[in-house]
Amino acid sequence: MRLTLAHHPITEIQFGAPTRLDGTSLVVDPEELRALVLEDESLTSVDLEIIRPGESCRAGPVFDIIEPRAKEPGSSPDFPGILGPPLTAGMGTTHVLQGAAVTVLRERAPGGSRGPIGTVLEMSGAAAEGTKYSSLHHLVVIPRARSGLADHTVQKAYRRAGLKVSVHVARAALGRTAALTESFEPVGPAEKGREGLPRVAYVGQIFSRQRKAEVDEAIIYGANTDGMLPVLLHPDEWLDGALVPSYYSSLGGAETYFYQNHPVIMELYRRHHARELNFVGTVATIAGLDNEDRDRNCRVAGHLVKWALNADAAVLTKYGGGVPHADMAETARLLEGMGIRTAVMVSDMSRDRRVESALLFNYPEVDAIVYLGGNDTRWNAPRADRVIAGSPEMAEGLAGPIEVGALNVVGVANQQGASRLRAVIY
Amino acid sequence: MRVVHYLNQFYGGLGGEAKAGVPLETREGAVGPGRLLEQVLGEGTKVVTTLVCGDNYAVEHQAEVTASVVEKVREARADLFVAGPCFEAGRYGMAAGALCSAVRSALGVPVITGMAEENPGADLYREALYIIDSGRSAAKMRDVLIKMASLGRKLVNKVPIGLPTEEGYLRRGLIRDQFVTKTAATRLVDMLVAKVKGEAFESEMVATSFEPIPMPPAVKDLSKAKLMLVTDGGLVPKGNPDKIEGMAATRWGAYRIEGLDDLSGEDYEISHGGYDPRFVQEDPDRLVPLDAVREMEKRGMIGKLHPEFISTSGLANPLSNTRRMGKEMVEKVKQEGVDAVILTST
Repeated sequence: MRLTLAHHPITEIQFGAPTRLDGTSLVVDPEELRALVLEDESLTSVDLEIIRPGESCRAGPVFDIIEPRAKEPGSSPDFPGILGPPLTAGMGTTHVLQGAAVTVLRERAPGGSRGPIGTVLEMSGAAAEGTKYSSLHHLVVIPRARSGLADHTVQKAYRRAGLKVSVHVARAALGRTAALTESFEPVGPAEKGREGLPRVAYVGQIFSRQRKAEVDEAIIYGANTDGMLPVLLHPDEWLDGALVPSYYSSLGGAETYFYQNHPVIMELYRRHHARELNFVGTVATIAGLDNEDRDRNCRVAGHLVKWALNADAAVLTKYGGGVPHADMAETARLLEGMGIRTAVMVSDMSRDRRVESALLFNYPEVDAIVYLGGNDTRWNAPRADRVIAGSPEMAEGLAGPIEVGALNVVGVANQQGASRLRAVIY
Repeated sequence: MRVVHYLNQFYGGLGGEAKAGVPLETREGAVGPGRLLEQVLGEGTKVVTTLVCGDNYAVEHQAEVTASVVEKVREARADLFVAGPCFEAGRYGMAAGALCSAVRSALGVPVITGMAEENPGADLYREALYIIDSGRSAAKMRDVLIKMASLGRKLVNKVPIGLPTEEGYLRRGLIRDQFVTKTAATRLVDMLVAKVKGEAFESEMVATSFEPIPMPPAVKDLSKAKLMLVTDGGLVPKGNPDKIEGMAATRWGAYRIEGLDDLSGEDYEISHGGYDPRFVQEDPDRLVPLDAVREMEKRGMIGKLHPEFISTSGLANPLSNTRRMGKEMVEKVKQEGVDAVILTST
């Protein structure tokens, strides 16, 4: 397993034909992309827009954000299990259009705790400063589904549309010389040469069974996680298309972009390269549906870290709200019990801004906790010059001025480690 | 800056415990530690009025003392009200906390006090107020006053207040958001590396202690007991008549089930985020097990099922809400003569 990222910086996206890289300018052919997206019979039309960093622009509701990446022929496949058979991801060369993003909008907000506007992309103003996404050039894909389709069919069409477009445009970089190539030193429980350094694993939740995954919902290698126990993954599998987020996310959420640029994995790699630690591998797990599911998952995840990775220490992240929070803590408690030191990342679950309401676990040994904020931050976002809405009826609501909370601005309270918004106890 | 300073009889120079019954006295200018306070607050600051009261008098005549202090602070046109520091003195701490709270809410004047963490006044007022951690020793008077002055000045100037460790106040147990330079991922790995190496690290979340809840005595004879079903799974009659919120609920309801042996999904809905409610919607007995309990009732295993069930939504609910609702529910349960309750959750 050896992944090389070939980075092609992008400073502009423009429409034109044919789709190509013109220096650092990405030219995309809208007709070609339309035809590609409309191969899916669930979709009747698609709109495409381009947004520049710093533009007074608001787009939403966001379904997903993807970094355009394409695999060099002869490497492992693009998004295996979704765009092709579920073969192992993370091998060979991946061309990366650095600084670009493919952003897919939904036609309707997903509802629930994210309110009537769902998650929005803010490109300027105070809210934009809190998210990396405002610094990217976005190719926005606004698919329109046939009416009367089941929700999961529509979401599957959105998912495929976004991934197909991102791979397609990134193929413009094939055969081009990259500005920078990045490769990763070997990671694995049996790797030699790092004796004496702490052996560190990452345990990341990829789904919470609080909601039943849709039957055709792709999460890991195209599978919906039903019946799944925690599994060992090479870190490069996370980075290279084995994983996409669930259709449902809450409390800051997760996007494909931050699987591809996974902040925790990239940080562990950085210190692995700096010889500060020995990154031995990762476990992908899910939060349980009930207590038995929890015990099974937490124990299997813990045992993989102990017996398969032989780790001394582990960092853990959650996916979603309270149940994932508690399950992550239980896994950490079990690891500590096996002599494996842990640090966990939690999000703020306190509605009354009191610490007493915030803690969903109280294990003295789980004492290294990163605390994500979001509940306490809202912006009065001004009217945007340009609004890109998933459906015409949402345009006026999005235009603003609107009050928008940190949890509604994509990237601000992200649970994959990208957030810089901290909940501070005082 | 004009400051009004509150002291007890001891620091006010009247005497010790023998003088604890002395009523509130007003002095012009700084008294005792007030002189040092004025000095550390720096140029342009004046302690215009010092209020001195015996510890017993302040506690025993709290309403009267509070009203007079508020009035004196108003008359003095104070920019800042300072009480203490009180160190471990319990009655002094209680009075200082109560007076600071009252002055701030009545006049909007910034307030600052200081106490030891062990002071009962700290327990009661640390969430509402900035209380400088004075420690137990009055020998630290100068250090404590410097911290009180610095934080007091910031409150007056409406400067953002730093963390407890930076400013020296007792942790209030509140949460606020703040953008920081490092991403969560970097902080996570930093913390782990420090922990593994045995170096000091500071968790961003702190341990909380909760009052233990004693186990109630067992029901003596279930076959004679009146049983009630209570759920926090959010099951409500169609239309959600009590408008129980699906998250951080502030309300609960009691719903009639007399004459029913089984709950039908057609009559109910679920007001509760965070779990997949489809299975409960399909058959509400999965959450509120009326069918099973009726069966037990018929077989004589339980005496009688109470003709209502209680419901609320337990998602992301602050303890301040749940404590109140819990007490209200208990009142009802007791009133109805219920002997045992089955709580079901999701």
